[in-house]
Amino acid sequence: MVSRKGDNVAQNNNKNGLARAREKSTTKAAAVFLFPALFLIAVYMIYPIIDTFTTSAYSWNGISSDKIFVGIQNWKTLFSDMTFWSSFGHNVVVMVFSILLQIPIGMLLATFLDAGGKKFNLFKVIWFLPYLMSSVAIAFLFSYALATNGGIFSSIASMIKGGKVTVDLLGRNPHALFSVIGVMAWQFTPFYMVYFIAGYGNIDTSIYEAAVIDGATRGQYLRTIAIPLLGPIFKTACTMSLIGSLKYFDMIWNMTGGGPAGGTELMATYMYKLSFQQFNMGYGSCVAAGMFLLITFIALVFQKIFVVKEDY
Amino acid sequence: MKRKFVSIILATALIGTLLTGCGGSGSDGTTTQPAEEETEASAETEATDETPAEEEAAPSEDAAAGSTEGKNLPELTTEPLTINLWDIATEGSVKDIQEGAVKRFMEDYPNITVNQVHQQNDNYKQQLIVAMSSGQAPDMYIHWGGGPMAEYYNSGFVNDITEMFNTYDHPEFIDAAVAQSSYDGKVLAIPFGGLSGCDIFYNKTIFAELGLEVPKTIEELEAICDKLIEAGYVPFSLANGSKWTGSMYYMYLVARHSGNAEFDAAYAQENGGTFTSDAFIYAGEKIQDWVKKGYFPEGVNSLSTDDGQDRALLYDNTCVMMLHGSWQTRSISDDNKEWYDANIGVFRFPEDSEAAAAGVPQNVEIGTAIGNGFSFNCWNADGSVDQAKLDACYVLATQYYNDDTYNQEQLASGTIPSIKGFETTIEDPNTKVVADVFFSASNVQLWYDQYLPASVTEVHKDCMTELFGLQKTPEEIGQAHDTAMQAAIAE
Repeated sequence: MVSRKGDNVAQNNNKNGLARAREKSTTKAAAVFLFPALFLIAVYMIYPIIDTFTTSAYSWNGISSDKIFVGIQNWKTLFSDMTFWSSFGHNVVVMVFSILLQIPIGMLLATFLDAGGKKFNLFKVIWFLPYLMSSVAIAFLFSYALATNGGIFSSIASMIKGGKVTVDLLGRNPHALFSVIGVMAWQFTPFYMVYFIAGYGNIDTSIYEAAVIDGATRGQYLRTIAIPLLGPIFKTACTMSLIGSLKYFDMIWNMTGGGPAGGTELMATYMYKLSFQQFNMGYGSCVAAGMFLLITFIALVFQKIFVVKEDY
Repeated sequence: MKRKFVSIILATALIGTLLTGCGGSGSDGTTTQPAEEETEASAETEATDETPAEEEAAPSEDAAAGSTEGKNLPELTTEPLTINLWDIATEGSVKDIQEGAVKRFMEDYPNITVNQVHQQNDNYKQQLIVAMSSGQAPDMYIHWGGGPMAEYYNSGFVNDITEMFNTYDHPEFIDAAVAQSSYDGKVLAIPFGGLSGCDIFYNKTIFAELGLEVPKTIEELEAICDKLIEAGYVPFSLANGSKWTGSMYYMYLVARHSGNAEFDAAYAQENGGTFTSDAFIYAGEKIQDWVKKGYFPEGVNSLSTDDGQDRALLYDNTCVMMLHGSWQTRSISDDNKEWYDANIGVFRFPEDSEAAAAGVPQNVEIGTAIGNGFSFNCWNADGSVDQAKLDACYVLATQYYNDDTYNQEQLASGTIPSIKGFETTIEDPNTKVVADVFFSASNVQLWYDQYLPASVTEVHKDCMTELFGLQKTPEEIGQAHDTAMQAAIAE
């Protein structure tokens, strides 16, 4: 690295004016092209993160002009706040089941579509549809579908058993959390399906041809060549699912609002309630900052473990 | 080919998220800007829609022609002025009525532009908080009184209008409405949403078929419930996914058992006041007993009243009664006027005969006397009151909202204005019952979920889920309330 830098310097000295001008203009162009992205990232990501941490040191109702500095008081409260930790627990459950459901099913569907080729194009489109729907629409759709009165499950159960049978999936704990996890899987599996289809598409056809020439069956090719080649993609997918489920908010908020009795409360819904409904922006920011730290920590640990495994 | 397909799909997804992203913020943006256009556009449809209502109101309108003439009101500015107004009247008759008030005001004061923005109710409070914290707060905005109004005032986003209210003319609001518009002895809002009682709606037809009479006491009510269960009905329709719906049963049982005494004591947490006192335990046990006996539909905690799932259970004759806010007269008749006329009756929550014998007042009712109020947020850059704007807001809220046309239209849509004298002009028999109950109340307790401090409200609502879900005992629920209340008082 160092020696190459030295070479560059040496080269630079030998460069004529034209080359230097060109380099200058390249730097300028890079700066011009990078500036908008950097600006937006600074304004919409870096500044809010810093501001969240700052606000977490204040007692503030979110609208008043007087913020009272309380130092680490909010953080102390956070550590002993059972609601926060139970929300975190729910997040972890959601995370584990999201990874266990969405990624294997997504992969299975992708493999099926990849093996089937063109004739399954219709399935591709149909299976992708849930991901195109907005979370709010999905929330309403499923709150009707899971309703005790005229919902799909209750109606089917009533038909099978005869008489009126109520299947209460959203009104009891822990059923509600698992129902919500199911709906999330319905929503996000198609994303991973497409992700893995893209992964399969990226495998060079010459590898497939070589395998066929060597006498590999389609199944053998998939098992021993294609799926192992998806490794890096698999890792990224898991990380995305992990982060996504730790910061999940919209669908749950609209479907259960964190209920019943906090049974589906996630860190994000708890933060929202504190900040915008209970006039407690200071502590709400503290929860948001805590969320940020926890998610970053878990994602890093996860990455670390995966990298080690891959080295074998 | 495959890659092409994948890239197309990914591109669609990207565009999709882009669009939804824009949609989210864009819809807010669009409501903000073309509000005027919207007003005009719907004013056109209004002209056709509203003519009958206006004709009805015509006789009284003559007297009030020119609305503000001869009244003791502040002189309004002749300079151009813009008022930003936020409400939540996004649809239906409510929207037409409120836009009508603004339109009449702008006709009389052409130099004043009212920028009426209809916010979605669901995220209105959040929008307001964001606007306030970023210095974009509207000049005049809707709220529900109670804890949040106090919070807005303490943060400097509400003009104290006590002096104006005492000096200038305004409709003669009922005392409870003025009380609920006040905080700390100051008038902070002008009511305009009309009052809402809380009563039991019942299916008259089924009652008649089974020979049941409207109950006067809780024992009679329980006897009726038992008979209904025998006949294969679920007595009460309740969608407790919304939580504040179940709270109505709790509030009323507490009120019937102890009047206001125990709630007021528990609210202050003084002189031995606690949410584990007699009336709260009584209410909790009664509800859990009723749940066990099957008085409520199964899966009660997963039904949502916002989607009308409780009304649906009345419509398909699964359930026979429903304790709910009086706006249900409008909701049900909007759904099906004929069915409403033929089947729905109303009675007040029955009395606790034991408590009555012990001298506990049985006319403490639950509800809200203002429904909605407008607060004003008119300040100059240096922090002094922008009196010109405040005067205009005051005249708009007291003389155009709340004028005869407005009130007649409110009545026609089933809302009783919180103004003295209106109880006599009601025609709908159910609305009449609601008004009678309300006006003969010794005290109207505002809904707990609006009266309690915001942090306690959340606990209260969660407790209502646990109460109906039999997950906590009444004692545990009382203790949770106490803990939250003490924390809120300490703040």
